[in-house]
Amino acid sequence: MRKIVFAIVCAALMLASPAFAQKKSLVVGMGSADAGKLDPHIASTTPDKGLLSWMFNGLVRVRPGRISPEFIEPDLAESWTSNPAGTEWTFKIRSGVQCHHGYGEFTADDAAYSLKRASNKATSSYSNDYSAVDKVEALDKSTLKITLKNPVAGFLGYVANVNGGNMICKKAAEEMGENFAKKPIGTGPFMFAEYQPQQFVKLVANKQYFRGAPQLDEITYRYIPADSSRDLAFQSGELDMVYGKQDQTWVDRMSKLPGVKVVAMDPAELSELHLNVTVKPLDDIRVRQAIAYAVDRKAIVAFKGAGTSREAVSVIPSGYLGTDQKAPLFPYDLAKAKALLAEAGYPNGVTIKTIHTTLTGMQTLIEATQAQLKKAGINLDIELVEHATFHAQIRKDLSPIVHYQAGRFPVADVYLTQFFDSRSIVGTPTAVTNFSHCNVADDEIRGARVATDPVKQLALWKTAQEKIIKAVCGVPIYEQLQLWAWKDTLDMGYEVQGSLNLSPPVTEKTRFIK
Amino acid sequence: MTTFLVRRLAFACVTLFATLTLVFVLVRIVPGDPAQLILGDQASREAIDALRQRLGLDLPLFKQYTVFLLGALRGDWGVSMVSGQPVIGEVLRVLPWTIELTVLSLVIGILLGVPAGVYAAIHRNRFVDYAVRISSLLGLSFPPFVSAIILLLVFAIALPWFPVISARSGSVAAWYQSIALPAISLGLISAAYVTRVTRSAMLEVLSEDYVRTARAKGVPWNVVIWRHALRNALIPIITVVGLYLGILIGNSVLTEIVFSRPGLGKLLIGALNQRDYPMLQGMMVIYTLIVVLVNLLTDLSYGFVDPRVKLK
Repeated sequence: MRKIVFAIVCAALMLASPAFAQKKSLVVGMGSADAGKLDPHIASTTPDKGLLSWMFNGLVRVRPGRISPEFIEPDLAESWTSNPAGTEWTFKIRSGVQCHHGYGEFTADDAAYSLKRASNKATSSYSNDYSAVDKVEALDKSTLKITLKNPVAGFLGYVANVNGGNMICKKAAEEMGENFAKKPIGTGPFMFAEYQPQQFVKLVANKQYFRGAPQLDEITYRYIPADSSRDLAFQSGELDMVYGKQDQTWVDRMSKLPGVKVVAMDPAELSELHLNVTVKPLDDIRVRQAIAYAVDRKAIVAFKGAGTSREAVSVIPSGYLGTDQKAPLFPYDLAKAKALLAEAGYPNGVTIKTIHTTLTGMQTLIEATQAQLKKAGINLDIELVEHATFHAQIRKDLSPIVHYQAGRFPVADVYLTQFFDSRSIVGTPTAVTNFSHCNVADDEIRGARVATDPVKQLALWKTAQEKIIKAVCGVPIYEQLQLWAWKDTLDMGYEVQGSLNLSPPVTEKTRFIK
Repeated sequence: MTTFLVRRLAFACVTLFATLTLVFVLVRIVPGDPAQLILGDQASREAIDALRQRLGLDLPLFKQYTVFLLGALRGDWGVSMVSGQPVIGEVLRVLPWTIELTVLSLVIGILLGVPAGVYAAIHRNRFVDYAVRISSLLGLSFPPFVSAIILLLVFAIALPWFPVISARSGSVAAWYQSIALPAISLGLISAAYVTRVTRSAMLEVLSEDYVRTARAKGVPWNVVIWRHALRNALIPIITVVGLYLGILIGNSVLTEIVFSRPGLGKLLIGALNQRDYPMLQGMMVIYTLIVVLVNLLTDLSYGFVDPRVKLK
């Protein structure tokens, strides 16, 4: 009898013990010292964007785990139509979607408010993206109409669940004003619960989520700036998912740990040298060509690691809608580089300055490039400054060569416009990030932006890339993928190849299988 | 005593004012635009200019300085450009973390350092003396983040006794678990400082006549050391500890980062990276205040330790 009682007690204890309960909370380690601005229309850093993406929806979304616009599917809008010219878009908003924390139903009115907020330069970092928007109206509770001044290439991308396309709830934003970033309110699977400065942000499940209640109960997003500490905390089991140190050695080390899934995700960031075509000696195209011939992209990828990087294919990142995957980039040819340099009047070599950030991943790349250029007689005089200084100085034209690493929404127009349209030249009132003062492809870039025929549009983008390569405004080098690792007991619910918001897609389907 | 305090306080005010002005100018000389950093690299020039205007960065420098000084006099240090929260609140939220770490590591430093220093001094030029001197030199030259990582590897990974993320609160056990490794890591370095100062101060005192007299008249060796000698060696030790406390608060940033703890150091680095001017200014005031306060306490303690010291 005593044995039976003992067995029953043991069984009861075992059932009650948490070891048998399915794990319901996810702890993520992010490589940042603290949260920035948690407002989806302002956030521009990987740590902030990644976290916000779990709280917000767009009118449409790119299927979780993918980045290409071809995977666009309904999100808060059930369906949509546009006129043949592509200037009038009507979205049917899903009914019954609830805003977080009791802020009421999400309607077309919220969507209109959100888009207007994203196009307002006082409240948004992405107002540029909406410059073609003429009118946004809520025709009724479930109908949203957007009128454009002209057709926009890949317009659905701007109402997708990224940057300004993230839909916020009007009542909450109006009530909180500037404080919205302290308690962001959206409609996504997880909602904001708590923020501890320099420690973590806690999200809890939105049980009313329109795709169904999330399987996870909560997410703790921890800020751990030191790469080694983050890895150790992951190794000790305190973290379930971790943002990687962006290099190959990290991948090699993590892959050796048992029960760990290491993922290199798109979108890749393209590393590119932007050559200022207006200053000496770079105003001589032969010098620019020499630089292009002297860069050995294959060697760089071997140096950076094949599992985390790939060769650049064009002056814009690969895989974007409109990227010419076989763009006529300059091949590696040291002899030609030397000959061109001599022809330009520098038989004994030339020295060119570049102001560069101390960000580790970028710094190792520029040093490797420096070594390559040296072989052709081009001395890269690297002036290292800390990151914020770098950003300020390159926007003042102080660096003849600017090494920039960036990814954008995966439609050719965005990258081309920001880096190669002459309207974006730094120092001008409409400046974005055109460091090269390139203006050779303005017609094609602008033509493609408003083209309604997709075939013609692709052709224009192709020509634009060819012209930019030919004029050597930019020398693309390699692409860096986003590195993450998580426990293999964590099932994202989707196959993860990429993520527009740079963090793995934690959705209502994400769960621990053990 | 009162005159002393008044003089020191007046002096502190001048120091504070000078620091404020210096910091105000310095952070603005350094290149980097807070508005650009907040909005990110896809923001248009217009959006950046609009934000600069809202943050008051478009005003002439002198105007900004006046606004800042008037605010500071009223106790208003402004709001952080990044978080939009009052600077004072942000600082006070992490200050306890830094203070508990600093004080605890200093206590560890004193508890280890003073006995080690005394021991080394009385065994001068013998094996133990060399051992103490070498290990304290090691402690001084070892970068704090390396010792921190080693501690983590041993006591959080190999022996899973402590968490890697040392920022727990709630229960006493959780607090102890999260403070132990960081405090030991910083404490060992302070111990190295304290050991070296204690040793040299003791050596000097031990050669004094009164020590010889005390020994000659038969005072037990223990009493000679701990009461007669150490008491007289305390002043340089206190001076160094006081100075070191200021350094420690500044240096705790690496420990905070490796052990993933909140703290002033991390706040400062974040503010620097973001060019958060009001935050940087507010933090410099806090740092200055701490150093001034610690110095004042150090001076006051001389009077208690050594009755011959008169504070004028």
